[in-house]
Amino acid sequence: MNIAKDLYNYRELLKTNIKKDVGGKYKNSVLGVLWSFINPLLQIAVYALVFQVILKSNIENYTVYLCCGLIPWQYFSSIVLRGAAVIVDNANIIKKVYFPREILPISIVTSEGVNFLISTIIILGFVIFGGIGLSWNILWYFLIVAIQFIVSIGVALIVSSLTVYFRDLLHLLGIVIQLLFYATPIVYAINSVPANLQWIVKINPMSYLIEAYRSIFYNQTIPNFQGLLIALGMGIALCVVGYFIFNKLEKRFAEEL
Amino acid sequence: MSKEEENRIIVDNVYKTFNVYMDKANSLKEKMLFWNRNRKEKREVLKNINLTIKNGEAVGLIGVNGSGKSTLLKLMTKIIYPNSGKIITNGKLTSLLELGAGFHPDFSGRENIYFNASIFGLTKKQIDERIDNIIEFSELGSYIDNPVRTYSSGMYMRLAFAVAINVDADILLVDEVLAVGDQHFQEKCIAKMKELKEQGKTMVFVTHSLGTVKDFCNRAIWLNQGVVKMDGEPDEVIEAYLKETT
Ligand SMILES: Nc1ncnc2c1ncn2[C@@H]1O[C@H](COP(=O)(O)OP(=O)(O)OP(=O)(O)O)[C@@H](O)[C@H]1O
Ligand SMILES: [Mg+2]
Repeated sequence: MNIAKDLYNYRELLKTNIKKDVGGKYKNSVLGVLWSFINPLLQIAVYALVFQVILKSNIENYTVYLCCGLIPWQYFSSIVLRGAAVIVDNANIIKKVYFPREILPISIVTSEGVNFLISTIIILGFVIFGGIGLSWNILWYFLIVAIQFIVSIGVALIVSSLTVYFRDLLHLLGIVIQLLFYATPIVYAINSVPANLQWIVKINPMSYLIEAYRSIFYNQTIPNFQGLLIALGMGIALCVVGYFIFNKLEKRFAEEL
Repeated sequence: MSKEEENRIIVDNVYKTFNVYMDKANSLKEKMLFWNRNRKEKREVLKNINLTIKNGEAVGLIGVNGSGKSTLLKLMTKIIYPNSGKIITNGKLTSLLELGAGFHPDFSGRENIYFNASIFGLTKKQIDERIDNIIEFSELGSYIDNPVRTYSSGMYMRLAFAVAINVDADILLVDEVLAVGDQHFQEKCIAKMKELKEQGKTMVFVTHSLGTVKDFCNRAIWLNQGVVKMDGEPDEVIEAYLKETT
């Protein structure tokens, strides 16, 4: 595969893109760092209010439970939404200079990954101060992140290239992400899903990943490796499909933009 | 030099057709609702192009507006792809197709040097080594630290050109951009391109300034309505071109 060679030859561009993206978020304002924490915290507060206080969820330590799912989910949803826009947003460069186009979605996935690593501080804060504590099992975190990264690359390759041809996909995906949020066990537990609807949860790689994050942070156990293997398999499948779609569509990016 | 590097650019039986949409459906919704209304017309812009550009050649590409020069250059850079036929390039290729190609308006000139050179595949260290030369060549002085959106067209061009000639490419493709430079800078660019030519670099150069082609190129290609009308000595090609167009 020459994609590996391309990425190596253009590593500087990848680095510049990621730095621009991550740095831009935290550098420009003192509030930058603060904002990136306030947003997830507010969401946690809202969902905790709705599901714990109003709907009286019977999950113990609900806020911590919620946080273990919500932070990884935000990584995923930003991949879908920002990934979908990345080629269109960079139209002026794509029309004028050659570089391997994959660099763009890959840098989004990586820089959002860095942001996710930083936001993991929030999860740690919640488990430590929420009365759960830490165990060595959190070291599995890196394995889970790696699998989520692979899933994200596949998704980003697909949505970024399709959006060039179907511009309203950007809006459509906004809705899809909201629906998917409720189809993933984030605010509820997987075993409360009725048996005849379980398949919806099971075809979604994010379900396995969020379950795994929750195992290591909230339950302090090892993750379910079978689930992780399924998520990895789905991730690889998404990458293969994404690679072919992207490769086919990128040839006409400059003309369609 | 290896055998394949003798031929820097091979254009083999290339056809390029653009779809011209009268009323383009750009969204899923429109594509589904108006699939039958999505009229498009095919415009054949390049027909049966066959060229071999050898190492060290300085090629001037001439032709009237709309004859397909920029399209051919874009194909060579791989920004767009042919409908049929093949284009093979051997060696590192750099292009300067439009003003400020790939600049980020809010970045300073200096930051854009890093960004632009990394698009051409240079590493941080390689850029560090060249940055002084690039800034010096551009003659932008203290403007180099201002955002490029505050630059004039000529200043854009200076910066873009300074980067393009300093990335150690084997092949340089330039499309008309010199025209916005002042007399002094144009001469400096031509002098620099001559220097690169002497070093054995390969260049393809689109311009309407026939004097420059005569002065600088050792081969001229005349494109007319998407076909190569003539290919040879600059003096002869230009003479024939002038005879037909005036
Ligand atoms: N994206 C596009 N979609 C449709 N038609 C296009 C597109 N780009 C170029 N064309 C058409 O292709 C033809 C050749 O264009 P091109 O830009 O290659 O000409 P050129 O020789 O560079 O002209 P000029 O001297 O004006 O720069 C023109 O008829 C133009 O209308
Ligand atoms: Mg042109």
